Amino acid sequence: MTGRLPPCIVDVGTGYTKLGFAGNHEPQMIIPSAVAIKESAKVGEQSQRRLCKGVEDLDFFIGDEAMDATGYAVKYPVRHGIVEDWDLMEKFMEQCIFKYLRAEPEDHYFLLTEPPLNTPENREYTAEIMFESFNVPGLYIAVQAVLSLAASWASRQATERSLTGTVIDSGAGVTHIIPVADGYVIGSCIKHIPIAGRDITSFVQSLLREREPNIPPQMSMETAKAVKERFSYICPDIAKEFNKYDGDPSKWVKKYDGKNPVNNQTFSIDIGYERFLGPEIFFHPEFANPDFTTPISEVVDNVIQNCPIDVRRPLYKNIVLSGGSTMFKDFDRRLQRDLKRIVDARLKITEQLSGGRITPKPIDVNVIAHKMQRYAVWFGGSMLASTPDFYQVCHTKAEYEEKGPSICRHNPVFGAMA
Amino acid sequence: MPAYHCSLPHPGSLVGNMAMLPLRTKYRGPAPIMAGDGIDVVDEALQFFKSNVFFRTYEVKGECDRTLIYVTLYITECLKKLAKCKDKNTGNNEMYSLAVSKFPIPGDPTFPLNAVYGKPKNDADLELMQQYLQQVRQETGLRVCERVFSTPDGKPSKWWLCFTKKRFMDKSLIAPSA
Repeated sequence: MTGRLPPCIVDVGTGYTKLGFAGNHEPQMIIPSAVAIKESAKVGEQSQRRLCKGVEDLDFFIGDEAMDATGYAVKYPVRHGIVEDWDLMEKFMEQCIFKYLRAEPEDHYFLLTEPPLNTPENREYTAEIMFESFNVPGLYIAVQAVLSLAASWASRQATERSLTGTVIDSGAGVTHIIPVADGYVIGSCIKHIPIAGRDITSFVQSLLREREPNIPPQMSMETAKAVKERFSYICPDIAKEFNKYDGDPSKWVKKYDGKNPVNNQTFSIDIGYERFLGPEIFFHPEFANPDFTTPISEVVDNVIQNCPIDVRRPLYKNIVLSGGSTMFKDFDRRLQRDLKRIVDARLKITEQLSGGRITPKPIDVNVIAHKMQRYAVWFGGSMLASTPDFYQVCHTKAEYEEKGPSICRHNPVFGAMA
Repeated sequence: MPAYHCSLPHPGSLVGNMAMLPLRTKYRGPAPIMAGDGIDVVDEALQFFKSNVFFRTYEVKGECDRTLIYVTLYITECLKKLAKCKDKNTGNNEMYSLAVSKFPIPGDPTFPLNAVYGKPKNDADLELMQQYLQQVRQETGLRVCERVFSTPDGKPSKWWLCFTKKRFMDKSLIAPSA
């Protein structure tokens, strides 16, 4: 391994792309997954509209620069985690590598990520771009959920490093519950919850709007976001929490000072109940969303109950959190408690139905919080790519030239304690 | 963890299909008087109000819950009135007039929760229900007013008024147009 440059880890998400080199704790760059291009407004096929005479195809921006560029059309090549526009994706990767990472792609192995249920064809396209356009020496495409599982190893004993577990991935737009058995995603059992970071922000915003008239309307969203990120936590029981606040407001109610960017005036507001009510919508979705009422603990239980019976116990035992919206204090404790109640109640019914003849072995429920939750996927990739095993499982340039892009359809699992 | 339910012991006596829970009150009426400083249904409803008001659905687990629902909905009505009051005295007057004003009772076409509440069986029952609810309304109004105005500056507390617009079970005792 000596003399080799570290592999590049690129995690392209719907909203943001995380870029960096293996072995680091945090991504070097987090940029919006956006591309700004010049596109003529002509009617017709996309390829026709983007046809150009000279070097206009080099005239584009990505990331934050794309957001600021005027006179360009801002496009998002990734929708719902899956690449939709390969032409733009290639442009995006080009600047990611040369302009942001400032790396020579010939010198670095690459680890890219994909969402669960990505198609094998998409992996082939990725391979074509990486090997043919960028001439990388080796490529590995990892499933995001598996990387999240790997990221939780950092805080645990070496013997407990398994690739079986349930991943709860919650970002800005949507929350996924993904069961993984031995490094393979059980695709048929994945569930989505329409409650995530953005919903919490808008719920906090609505609570603040009804109580704090000092917030300038155009700051409403930013204030809610700041309150969510800085003050929120999860409480064990909301009625008791309300009583705590009413009994001793000076201890629980916080102050937040903001500044209106338009007239530079400062404003000050009290932060009260929204501290615990915001994240509470994971457990009581009906507070914010009239159409969806199943608490997250019940969804997780349903997911695991749908899985094959022989993996259910390990899935309960290893529930891993990933993504920014799982970082609320005590999220893990609350989820573990609620889930444990559901599971224990079911075991009790089993015992009753058998007339007391069968006593089932209690099921271990473990929700694991760790320090790397925010960029869990990227960190998992960084960790796995810095092991020697990584080079064993990578698809190499030579292999690609010998057999073609189909080699990237399958990416073997590695890293788990055998 | 679903919404909070009434945990008081069932009193045995019913009015319609609501439990006639005892009250700790000076107002006259048919309710059994509660001795000592224990928690009565109004206290309990006030205690759970801020949590329960967020729930859009509520599973009625017994006759006591129906009384709790009524008090919870009535607290919202009180807050709506108190939001317009400047000090405690006007608040108390508003509460009194709200409590004794004409109000729909279960069985009336304008009562919002006829699906959950049974209508009174006969005239005596109707009379009893009216009186019991009025007593509940008076006592609730008094205690809500007490809590809302327990601020140092005598202004209504924003920690209560922020719940004015919430609708428990998506219902309100008085139709929005009224």
